[in-house]
Amino acid sequence: MPYQPLMEDAVTTQGLRPSDLPAPPKDAIRVVQACSRSDTGSRDLAAIVANDPLLTAELLRVANSAFFGLASQVRSVARAVTVLGDRALRNLVLCIAMRDALRAEAIPGFDIDAFWEDALLRAVSARGLAALARLDADECFTVGLLQDFGLLVMFYLQPRHVGEWERLRRSAPDARRELELALFRTTHDEVGLALATSWGLPQDLTTAMGQHHTYPPESAAPEDIALCRLALCADWMAAVYRCEDRRETIQRTRSLLYEHFAATEEGCDRLLKQVTESLAEAASALGLSIGAQVPFEQVLREANLRLVEDNLSYQELTWRLEQTLVERDRIAAELQKELELAREVQKSLLPSAPLPGIAGINLSARAVSGDLYDYFPLADGRIAFCLADVSGKGMYAALLMAKTASLFRCLGKGVNDPGKLLGMLNREISETSVRGMFVTMQAGIFDPARGQVLLSSAGHPPALLVRGAQPVCEFPAQAPPLGVSPESVFANETVRLEGGCLYLYSDGLLEAQIETRRLQGDGLVKLLREHAQMPPEARAQAIAGAVVAGSGGVEDDLSLLIIEDQRSHV
Amino acid sequence: MAFSVEKKQGFSVVVLNGDVDLSRSPEARRAIMKSLKKMHNVLVDMSAVDYIDSSGIASLVEGFQYARANSLEFALTGVSEAAMNVLRLARLDQVFPIYASLDERITSGA
Repeated sequence: MPYQPLMEDAVTTQGLRPSDLPAPPKDAIRVVQACSRSDTGSRDLAAIVANDPLLTAELLRVANSAFFGLASQVRSVARAVTVLGDRALRNLVLCIAMRDALRAEAIPGFDIDAFWEDALLRAVSARGLAALARLDADECFTVGLLQDFGLLVMFYLQPRHVGEWERLRRSAPDARRELELALFRTTHDEVGLALATSWGLPQDLTTAMGQHHTYPPESAAPEDIALCRLALCADWMAAVYRCEDRRETIQRTRSLLYEHFAATEEGCDRLLKQVTESLAEAASALGLSIGAQVPFEQVLREANLRLVEDNLSYQELTWRLEQTLVERDRIAAELQKELELAREVQKSLLPSAPLPGIAGINLSARAVSGDLYDYFPLADGRIAFCLADVSGKGMYAALLMAKTASLFRCLGKGVNDPGKLLGMLNREISETSVRGMFVTMQAGIFDPARGQVLLSSAGHPPALLVRGAQPVCEFPAQAPPLGVSPESVFANETVRLEGGCLYLYSDGLLEAQIETRRLQGDGLVKLLREHAQMPPEARAQAIAGAVVAGSGGVEDDLSLLIIEDQRSHV
Repeated sequence: MAFSVEKKQGFSVVVLNGDVDLSRSPEARRAIMKSLKKMHNVLVDMSAVDYIDSSGIASLVEGFQYARANSLEFALTGVSEAAMNVLRLARLDQVFPIYASLDERITSGA
C-alpha cells in the first residue's frame, strides 16, 4: 500500500476536538472518577454503578469470572463494591466501558475482534509482568488492555485506512509506530493521550496510554514510570505472537525485560509462555472472542528455524565470497602473467644494440606502453629511427603501438624516405582504424657522417635542436597524425645538427612536472641543457630519472630519443 | 557536467566543455557517435573546452571518420584557444573543418 499523505484531514492531536472523538461512556466514567475520590462512600459508589443496569450486569459477571478469582461469589453491586475495593472496581469498570466504547459498526470493515485479541495479549502480558514490576496485577492488566486504544480511535477517525490494519498488527511495536506516523501523521499513544485527557480518565492511566513509547520524564511518579515501562514490555511480549519476524521480536523482548526488570532469558520465556495459557480465561472473563493461539513453543521453534536459516545463508555467503576472492586472485595472477609477457614482447620491439650518437628511453605509465621509439642501421651506414605515441593508454594502445612498430621495422628497411614511409604507415593504419585511434609519429634518417637528419612528422610535438647556448630550434609537424585521413601527405625536412643534438619526445615528457612546474615551455629546454654534457645513453636515463623523481612516478607513457652529432671536427 | 546535444538549424550540435580527457572522452564519444548514427550532421561546439588530450582528440577523429564514410557532415565550431593549440600542433586543423560559429557554418553554405 503506498504511503498516502493526509494533509487536509490527517488525525493530528493538535487539531483533535472533543467532538471528533467517540462519545465517552458517561456512567462508567462517573464511577471511575468517584472511585478516585476519597470522600465517596461505598454506598454512594454502589448507587452510581447501579444507575447503569448494563454496566451492573457486566460488572457482576466479570467480577465472578474465574480469571479475576474473587474469594467468594458476589451477587449484588453493594457486595461487589465492598469485596473489590475502589481500585479494582475502577479498573473493572474501565475495562468494560472501554471495550464497549467503540462498537464494530463504528468502524466499517475493521476487524475489532482482532484488535481486542491483541489488546488482551498485551493485558495478559502486563499482568504477568506485575510481580516483577512490583505493581498491582489488575491495574497492569487494565493498562495493557487500554494502552493502544488510541489506535482504535485513529481507525474510527480515518476508516479509509482499515486495509492497513493487518500490516500494522504484524509489525513490531517500533515499526508499527513508524507506519502509523506515515499513514495517520500521528501515533496511537498521542491519540490515546488526547482521548484519555478529554474523557477525564485517571492520571495513571492517562500517562500509561500516552507515554508508554516515549516514557514520562524522570521527575514523574516512580509508579507512572514503572507502568509505562511495563506497558512497553507488554507491547513487545504481545508482538512475539503477532510479528512476522519472530526471532528479532523475541530478542528485543528479552533484552527489554532484562533492561527494565532484570528478567533472565528463562524468566522472559516463562512469562511469554504464560501469556497464551491464560489468554482464553481472560477473554472469557471479558466476554471477548479470540481465535486459536500459537503456543509459545511453536513460536520459539519458528524463531530458531529462522536463526538456523540465517546462519546457513551467512555461511553460504561467506563461502561464496571466499570462492570469488580465490577466483579473482587466480584471474589477476593470470592477467599479470599475460601483461608481463606483453611487456616482454614490447621490450623486444625497442632497439637492443646501441649505436653511436643515438639513444632512447621509454617509460610506461602502465604495464604496457602506448609509446615507442626505434632505430636500426641501414646498409649505407645511416640510421633509420622513429618515435611515436598512440592516442590513449593501456592494452589497446599497446596493440596499435606494436602494429606501428612492426610496420616501421618491416617497411623502414626498404623505404629510405621518411615522408614516404609515414604515408605508407598512414594508409595502413587508416584502413584499420578503430575508435578514432591515431598515432603521432616522427620518422627520420640520421646520417652520422654528415651530422644531418632527414625528418618527417605526423602530428607529433616539435623536435628540438639544442646547440650549446644558441637558441633552440623547433621542428613542428607539417602533417596530421597517422590513422586520421588516408590522403595525408608527409613532407621531409633536413635538419643540420652542426654539433648540436636533436631531441624527439612524446607528450608524456611535456606533461611531466619537476618541482611542481610542468616541463611544457622552457622547462624541458632547461632540463635538456642541464644534462647536455653526458653521453646520450646516460643523458636519456638521467633526464627520465629526473622526470620520474620530480613527478613522483610515471603518469603518462614517456619516451625520449636523442640524436647527437658526434663528429669530432665540428 | 555532461555534454549537451542540441538540434540547431538542421545540425546536431554537441557542446563539449571543461577538460575532455581520458575520464570524460568516452562520454564525448557517445554524444558524437549517437548523433551521427541517427544520420545527423554534427557540429562540435568547442568554445568551452579548457583542455583536450589525445583520447578526446580520438573521439573527434572517430566522428570525423564515421561522418566521411557515411557522407555526413562533421565540423568543429568556436574552438577555444587551448583546444586550438593542440589541434594546430598536431596539424589536425588541416583535417577537421573548423568554423568560428554555427552562423559562420550556415552562411558559408558548404
